[in-house]
Amino acid sequence: MDKTKLSTRRLIQGALIAAIYAVLTILLAPISYGPMQVRVSEALTILPALTPVGIPGLTIGCLLANLLGPYGIFDVVFGTLATLIATIGSYLLRDHDWLVPLPPVIANAIIVGGMLHFAYGVPGLWACMGWVGLGELIACYVIGLPLLKFLKRYKHIFE
Amino acid sequence: MIRDITLGQYYPGDSILHRLDPRIKILATLAYIILLFIVNEWIGFAACFVFLAVEVALSKVPLSYILRGLKVIFLVILFTFVLNLFMYDGEVLVRIWKLTITDQGLKRALFMAGRLILLIISSSILTFTTTPIQLTNGLERLMKPLSKIGVPSHEIAMMMSIALRFIPTLLDETDKIMKAQQARGADFESGNILHRAKQMIPILVPLFISAFRIAQDMALAMEARCYHGGQGRTSMTEMRFRTRDYITAVILLLFAAGIITLRVLI
Repeated sequence: MDKTKLSTRRLIQGALIAAIYAVLTILLAPISYGPMQVRVSEALTILPALTPVGIPGLTIGCLLANLLGPYGIFDVVFGTLATLIATIGSYLLRDHDWLVPLPPVIANAIIVGGMLHFAYGVPGLWACMGWVGLGELIACYVIGLPLLKFLKRYKHIFE
Repeated sequence: MIRDITLGQYYPGDSILHRLDPRIKILATLAYIILLFIVNEWIGFAACFVFLAVEVALSKVPLSYILRGLKVIFLVILFTFVLNLFMYDGEVLVRIWKLTITDQGLKRALFMAGRLILLIISSSILTFTTTPIQLTNGLERLMKPLSKIGVPSHEIAMMMSIALRFIPTLLDETDKIMKAQQARGADFESGNILHRAKQMIPILVPLFISAFRIAQDMALAMEARCYHGGQGRTSMTEMRFRTRDYITAVILLLFAAGIITLRVLI
């Protein structure tokens, strides 16, 4: 009985993390999609450092946000894949605060940047990767890292 | 401001496309997009265009509504078009100062921009004619075979539906938090991008605490109603394939076969 109790709560926590990600992406839509994006919601990719349920939560959040966004199915498949890889990376690096926001920067720069170039025909592979990477860098380090420090004070809510 | 945001792009209606099984619509959209990338000649491209035009007509979604969706990414289309225009060598058509437009460049620019537009419209048709809930149900059923290899398809679909349910609630909550912080002197509207990014933190922390409180209550409520995971769970409306779904599948297969033959022959 105890096991199911834990997993129902985890399930809902994951769902709400997904909802927060989608809300932030939609709310700040003009800067959330495209080659020069600063997707503020990507700051949440620090969550796996606090709770493993952040991995499915953020992946699903990204899936929903991209499904509702204007970029079509490629963003749904590749953007979601990038987030999945990024969150697993962040989870593995959870003991080092400074490294936690790094996997999303790298994964998104390579996968989303590559996608914009190859699938959508935006010329300049390195420029695509660079711009997406820069946007991620701002989201993950300027917002993500302080957020991680603040949320650590409220660690009990993630139990 | 937050109340103006429409969630998703669903356009309520009762067209044949609205009534199709969401599973077939998801698969068809995927197939169409793969075909768009197989096509490399104008005839195939025209065929894809006609196919989509018929789809749009059948969906009964007003054209203005569809074009409005394109407006959001108009800049990206323009950017792609202009950059491709100047990037290729070939017979020079126009020369403006140091920039030259060649026949190859023009051809490629038109092709890329056209493909991008078809790509966006085709996936919009899916979201225009399918509610987010139908989409998640469809995805759950499509992922079901994966649960045999250990993918928790029920849990994923459950998370998706709960997240969809809570997006409007959390939008309201964010609105409230922003107003509360503004009343305490927070400033979200000035400063450079770094400064504005930092201003998000006083919104995010309370948002999390509030969301996790909701999670706590909801888990309790679900368990009080004996929720115990996906096993043996039934649904109020069962999805099943009807004649129209089989006909759609056949049409799609014929179209795909045609496009692939075209590619092989030309």
